[in-house]
Amino acid sequence: MIAGTHSYANRRALRRLGLVLGACTIMIYSLAPIIWILIASITPELRPDQAGVWQSSRAVDYFPRHPTLANYQALFSAVPFATYFRNSAIIAFGTMTLALTVGSLAAYGFVRFRFRFRGPLLTATLMAYMIPSVVLLVPLMVLFRRYGLINSFPGMILAEATNTAPFVLLLMINYFAALPAELEEQAQVDGCTRLGALLRIVLPLALPGLMAGGLFAFIMTWNNFLFAFLFATTDDVKTLPVIMRLFALGEPAVWGQSAAGAILTTLPVALLFLGFQRMLISGLAAGAVKG
Amino acid sequence: MSGRQRNKAGGDIRIALESFQNIREALTTNRPGQVGRGKDVMRRDVVTAHGGGSVSVAEVRSAARQLTLHPTRRRVDLLPYAFIAPLGLLLLAISFYPALYALWLSFTNATLLRLAQASFTGLRNATHLAGDPIFLIGLWRTLRWDLAVVLSELAIALPVALFLNQRFWGRAVVRAAVVVPYIVPPAVSALLWLYMFDGNFGVVNDLLVKLGFLKDYVSWLSDPFASFCVVVGAMVWSGMPLMAIVLLAALQTVPGELYEAASMDGANAWQKFHQITLPHLAPTIAFLVLLRTIWMSNHIDMIFIMTRGGPGFSNYTEAVYSFMLTQQLEVGYSSAVAVALALVLMAVSAFYVRHLARNVLA
Repeated sequence: MIAGTHSYANRRALRRLGLVLGACTIMIYSLAPIIWILIASITPELRPDQAGVWQSSRAVDYFPRHPTLANYQALFSAVPFATYFRNSAIIAFGTMTLALTVGSLAAYGFVRFRFRFRGPLLTATLMAYMIPSVVLLVPLMVLFRRYGLINSFPGMILAEATNTAPFVLLLMINYFAALPAELEEQAQVDGCTRLGALLRIVLPLALPGLMAGGLFAFIMTWNNFLFAFLFATTDDVKTLPVIMRLFALGEPAVWGQSAAGAILTTLPVALLFLGFQRMLISGLAAGAVKG
Repeated sequence: MSGRQRNKAGGDIRIALESFQNIREALTTNRPGQVGRGKDVMRRDVVTAHGGGSVSVAEVRSAARQLTLHPTRRRVDLLPYAFIAPLGLLLLAISFYPALYALWLSFTNATLLRLAQASFTGLRNATHLAGDPIFLIGLWRTLRWDLAVVLSELAIALPVALFLNQRFWGRAVVRAAVVVPYIVPPAVSALLWLYMFDGNFGVVNDLLVKLGFLKDYVSWLSDPFASFCVVVGAMVWSGMPLMAIVLLAALQTVPGELYEAASMDGANAWQKFHQITLPHLAPTIAFLVLLRTIWMSNHIDMIFIMTRGGPGFSNYTEAVYSFMLTQQLEVGYSSAVAVALALVLMAVSAFYVRHLARNVLA
């Protein structure tokens, strides 16, 4: 009996050790690169070595002794970072609004109605989602040039909607399908119009789903590189991921500034994620994300 | 009945159509009132039309005529189409039409600079592709990239998901940390990994030298194989969380009683994993591998930002090749490569779409 409890205690201790080790490994794997760039962003460009000579801090420095925000300040004067930030925000908000509107309307239509060509229409919509972005690059570029949409916010928003609108559709289809239709019917029986039922009953209930869809659309757009790289080449529409590529090429060749830029580019989506974690994780679990 | 109750507006046609079918059935069997399930429906319709009484064949006939001859009773409800139209029109403009346009371009010698003079060259691009070493080796490079990324993601995501499925203090924090790399913009991830593996001031070189694994700094990204591995590493870091979270969601649907029963039968942890967990996860794993293979075949960002497909052509997957051709303004040939890639993926995509559509339409 005593031996039994002893081995039980041992096993518990072992399990606890395993859990701690596992948790540490996972946390380090996931967060180390970000922590590393965070450190780099507050490391001064120049620092004195042992002899007191000022050296470039391009050498690896894990614990900067003189943390500074100078890199962040320098970033805003070296490149029009604030403008890029604003551009990213405008395009992400615009795409979110567009995708959310058309995507959720269509999702509601597909879930609540039975109509002719429902199956084929849904299949076609989903096929649109499967068209690789690389196929669309050239035609969209040509069309955008023809209609003056190149280097414009509407053009960027339309391009981003190719991915986000069908995504919102998929997410909201699952969401609406889980809402009981009886509630709406009850409202209609009680004298609500169909539109009234939609606005007063369905919309409030679907709000968490809409928020998840909107957040995803925002993050997908904020993070997208490909369309921005081709369709937004002037400073007044250029977005942050495009600047990240310039930094990756070593322009400007200032490590601390690039790191600061990377942190600021990640910050908005990281904050959104931390704020709406549960919603986003459940959206991810649906597994329909493109890319 | 619940299917009919699901909507009122569309229900009108449905009831009308259904009763019409029942009536046709009645006509062919010629035994009114004995057509089984549809009896009530039919009688109700006919009753409303004729003010009651028993149902005779003649009455059924007249009811049928009414249903077929009066188009007002079979009017098409436009409301559902109104809901779908905005998305439909949008996708027509920015997805379907451009895709068809790409298909057309792939049969031309178009370049972006002299698009107007582009002429139809038939299968010339296709024959060119068949003899283009970058394209042909690119097929292998795409497959190698897909396999490396998807299998590595799975190999990391599965243990992570199993771990997160345990109950322990601080699990929510670890789960959030796991998802963070997925939220980081891929362009930033590319930057992070480039700096970590930089030949001169990269942290990886520094650590490996300090730990004694390396004598000298290595220029990771100028070696074809090493650069491939670094890009795969960055991609896996960035994409793995999706798999881990989807697998975790699947794990949480395994009924706990199964494990309890297995424990009572004396099964050990491996047996439980092998006999219960893995079979339960199999469909999800298949789905994820399919999904990620499609997206990874189309993936450009990470490879392009980190290596521009180089050194040399060593990281030219088909998607990257097409993208680089676009950059050189060779839009005709670029479209040919993209369309070829899309056609190869079409079969896989169709499988996925059918799976999604069936879930929704069920």
